[in-house]
Amino acid sequence: MFLIDLIMDIIAFFCIYAIITLSLNFQQGYTGIFNLGLYFPIIVGAIITAYLPGRLAMVIYGLDPKLDFSANNALVLSILRSKLSSDPVTSIALLTLTLAAVAIVCYIIGFLSSYPALKLPADYLALFMLCAGESLRVIGMQTDWLAGGVMGITIVNPFWWLGGYSYYGMASFTIISTILIALLYHRLCESPLGRLLKSIRENELTAESVGKDVNGVKRKTLAFSFTILGLAGVLHAFLMGAVVVGGYTRVDFSFWPWLMMIIGGTGNNIGVFLGTFSLVIMRRIMIVGKHYFWFLPFNVVWFEPILLAIMLMVTLVFRPEGILPERSPKIRDYLRKVLKLES
Amino acid sequence: MVPSPILLTALVYSFILSLLAMGFTLQYITLSVPNLAYATIAFASTYLTLTFSLMNLSPYVAMPFGFLLGGAISFMLYKFVAFLRNRGTSIVGLMMATIVFDLIIYASMNIYADYLAYVFKLYAGSFSLSEFDFEIFSFPAVLFISGLTSVGLVAFFTLMLVKTKFGVAMRAVMENFNLASVHGINTERILSIAWFFVGGTAGLSGSLYPIWFAMDPWVGARMFISIFAACVIGGLRSIYGSLLGGFIIAFSEVVVTYFLSLYFPWIWAYRAVTSMVIAAFALVEMPSGIAGLIEKLRRG
Amino acid sequence: MVSQTLSAGQNLELEKRPLLTVKNVSKRFGSFYALQNISLTVPEKTIALLIGPNGSGKTTLINCISGVYWPDEGQILFDGKDITEMHVHDIVKLGLVRSFQVPAPFKKMTVAENLLVCGQDNPGENFVSSLNRSRWRASEKESVDKMFKVLKTVGLEDKVDTLAGELSGGQLKLLELGRLLMLNPKMMLLDEPIGGVNPVLANSILSHIINIRNEFGTSFLIVEHRLDIVMKYVDYVYVLSKGNLIASGTPSEIVERRELYDVYLA
Repeated sequence: MFLIDLIMDIIAFFCIYAIITLSLNFQQGYTGIFNLGLYFPIIVGAIITAYLPGRLAMVIYGLDPKLDFSANNALVLSILRSKLSSDPVTSIALLTLTLAAVAIVCYIIGFLSSYPALKLPADYLALFMLCAGESLRVIGMQTDWLAGGVMGITIVNPFWWLGGYSYYGMASFTIISTILIALLYHRLCESPLGRLLKSIRENELTAESVGKDVNGVKRKTLAFSFTILGLAGVLHAFLMGAVVVGGYTRVDFSFWPWLMMIIGGTGNNIGVFLGTFSLVIMRRIMIVGKHYFWFLPFNVVWFEPILLAIMLMVTLVFRPEGILPERSPKIRDYLRKVLKLES
Repeated sequence: MVPSPILLTALVYSFILSLLAMGFTLQYITLSVPNLAYATIAFASTYLTLTFSLMNLSPYVAMPFGFLLGGAISFMLYKFVAFLRNRGTSIVGLMMATIVFDLIIYASMNIYADYLAYVFKLYAGSFSLSEFDFEIFSFPAVLFISGLTSVGLVAFFTLMLVKTKFGVAMRAVMENFNLASVHGINTERILSIAWFFVGGTAGLSGSLYPIWFAMDPWVGARMFISIFAACVIGGLRSIYGSLLGGFIIAFSEVVVTYFLSLYFPWIWAYRAVTSMVIAAFALVEMPSGIAGLIEKLRRG
Repeated sequence: MVSQTLSAGQNLELEKRPLLTVKNVSKRFGSFYALQNISLTVPEKTIALLIGPNGSGKTTLINCISGVYWPDEGQILFDGKDITEMHVHDIVKLGLVRSFQVPAPFKKMTVAENLLVCGQDNPGENFVSSLNRSRWRASEKESVDKMFKVLKTVGLEDKVDTLAGELSGGQLKLLELGRLLMLNPKMMLLDEPIGGVNPVLANSILSHIINIRNEFGTSFLIVEHRLDIVMKYVDYVYVLSKGNLIASGTPSEIVERRELYDVYLA
C-alpha cells in the first residue's frame, strides 16, 4: 500500500508540474514571452479554491451563517465532510464550478496584465511578472479571510464520497486533466498556430511585416497560459487538501519549472515532459532522504535550492539547449503526418 | 502632521531604497541584464549585522564587511554572466544565471540563519536590531548614518563619473558597449570593477537595513518589488531617475500608506503591494518614467 | 536596354493610375528632421528606385510607408486608402509589403516554415479552430502549393528543410523575396535587395523582380546603393538628400544630371 501511495504521489505531482512547464514552454519556448511570474496565476487558482467551494457548500447545505469558513475552519469542514461524503453530485459540481471560475478569472487577469506587460522589453516583462506574483503572495499571506493568511486553510475534497480512496480520486482526476491539457498543447503547437508563435519568438517585426497581429497573438497566448496555470493551481490545492499561500514561492513555482524546461529542452514539448519527470522524481527522493541528515545543525531542505542552482549552472554552461533540443519538422513529414498528403 | 516615527521610517527607508535602485539600474545599463540576485545580494549582509550584534559589537561594524561581501558576490556574478555572454547565451540564459546566484545566496542565508539559531539558541529567521542602535540628538543614529552613506556614495559616484579617467571609460561603456571595446577600453576590467562597487554599495545599504527594520530571509524577495518599482518610476535606464524613484516609492509606501491606514487600517499590511500598483500604472501611463518627464520638460 | 526601359517608364508615368501616393510627409526624431515634406508617387506595375547618400532618410521613408513609424505630418495613400496611421500587419493585408535591409528571417525555422507562416487568414492560426485539423487543412494545403511555386520562382527548392539561420547572405535575400511573394502583394518595398550580394546573383535577383512585375503586375519601390547594377532595371528614380527630395526622373534623366551623380551618388 505504501508503494502505491508513493507512486500515486509522484505521478500526481509530476502532473501538476507537467501542466506548469508545458504552459511555460508555450509562453517561452514557443512565443518567446519571458514570464518569470508563473506562480501568479497559480496563486490565483489556489486562492479561489480556498475561498469559493467551501463557502458555496456552506450555502448549499444551509449552514449557520454565523459560522465563517475561514475563522471556524475545522468545525465547518467536519460538517461539510459528513454532508459531502454522501453527495457525489454536489461534490463534482463544486469541482467543476471552481475550475470554471478560476479559468474565467485567470483568463481575464492574463488579458488585462498583458497591457502593461507587453509594453516592456522582454527582461523587464519577466521582472514585472515576478513582482506581480510576489505581490499577490504578500496579499494572500496578509489577508486572513481570503485563504487563511499565513497559517493557511484546509479545504474541501471533491472526492470525499469515495471514502478511503478520496486521495486516489483527486489524483486520478489530476492525471486525466493533465493528459487532456498535454494533448491540447500538442494540438496547438503542431498546428499553424505553433508555427505562428515560433515566428513571433524569432522576430516580432518580421512577423508583423508578414501580416500577423503580434501583440494580439501574444495577448491571447498570455491569457491562455494564465488560464491553464490557474487550473494547475486548483488541482494542486485540491490535491494538497489545504492552501497556504506563503508556500507558493517563486523558487518552487517559478524557478523549478524554468529549470525543468531548460533541462528538458526549450521549445520541445516532449523534452519538457522528460525534464519535468526526472526533476520531480529527484525532488521526491530528496524529501524522503532528508531524514538521514538529522545531525546537521540546519534544515537540509536548504540544499534543494543549491542543488537547483548547480544544475541550472551546469545546464547553462554545458547544454543550454537541453536534453531534447527543439526540432523543426521536415516538410515531407509535415505533409504526410499533419496534412495527410502524399506528394 | 506626520508623526515622527513614520517620517523617520520613510527617510531611512528612502535612503536605503534609492541606493539600491540606483545600483540595480547601473548594473542593468552596463550589461543589459537585470540582476535578479541583486536584492538577495544586498540583504545577505543583514546577517553580518546580526552576527556582530550577537557578538555585542556595534551593528555599524558590519558596514565595511557588508560592502566587501556584496562586492565579492557581485564580482563573481559578473564573471559568470560575462563568461556566458561571451559564449553567446541569450538574455533568458543570462537572467537564469543571475537566478543561480539568487538561489545559492538565499539558501546559504537560510543555512546560516539555522546555524545561528542552533548556536545562540534564538530564532534568527526574523529579527530586528533597533535596540543595538544609539542616539544622536535624541534621533536614532541610523537616520544620520544611512543619510550620510547615501548622499556620500552618490556624490562620490558622481564625482568619479565626471572627474576620473575610470569614470569617463565607464560612461563610454554604458553609452555603447561595443564601441567602447573597439576604442581599446578594457570593458571587462571596467565592468568587473563597476559591478564590485555597485554590489558593495548594495551590501552596505543592506547591512544598515536591520538596524531600523524587521528582517527575515524573504525580505530580499519582497524588497525586489520596491526596487523594481523605483527603477520603473525612474525610467528603467536613468541612474538619477532611479534615485528619485527610490525616494518616491519609499515615501509612498510608508507615508501614503500611513495616511490611508488612518481610514483603512488593513492597508498597512499591504505596503509592499502599493509600489507594485504604482509601477503598473507608471508603465501604462508614463513608460519612460521620470527621466522621460524631465526630458520632455527640458524640450518644452 | 537602357533606352527601352526609359521609354517604357515614361509611358507608364502617363498611362497608369497611382498605387502609392506619399503627400507632404515629415518625420522628426527629437528635433532632427529625418524626412521633410516628402511627396512621391509610384504608379501600378512600376519599378521605382529611391536613392541618396547614407542617412538621407531612405529607410525612414520605407518605415513610414510600411507603418513601422507613423509620420508626424502628411498623408500616405495606398490603392486609394489612407494608410498613414495604420499598423504594419493591417497595411500588409492591403497588399503593401516590405523587406529589411538586414535580412530578418525566422532563424530557427526551416525555409518551408518561413514561407508557410506567411499564408494569410489561415484558420489554423486561431486558438480555437487550430484544434480541429479539418478546419484548416484546406487553407494549409493552399499555402503549401503556393510555397512550392514560390520556392521554384526564387530557386530555393533544395533548401526547403534548411534552417533559415544556416542560409548564406544571397540565399537570405532570395528568402526575403520569397516571403514577400507569399503575401500576394500589389506592391513591394525592398530595402537594399542586392546589398552585399555578388554581381551575378544581384542581376539574377533583379531579373526575378522584373519577372514578378511582368507576371503579377506588382509595383516596386526599391532602396539601393549599387546604381551601376540597378539603374538599368528601373522605370523611375527619386533622389533623397538630408531628408529632402531633391530630384526625380527617369534613369537617363538622373544619369544626365552629373551634379547629382557627383555630389550624392558617387
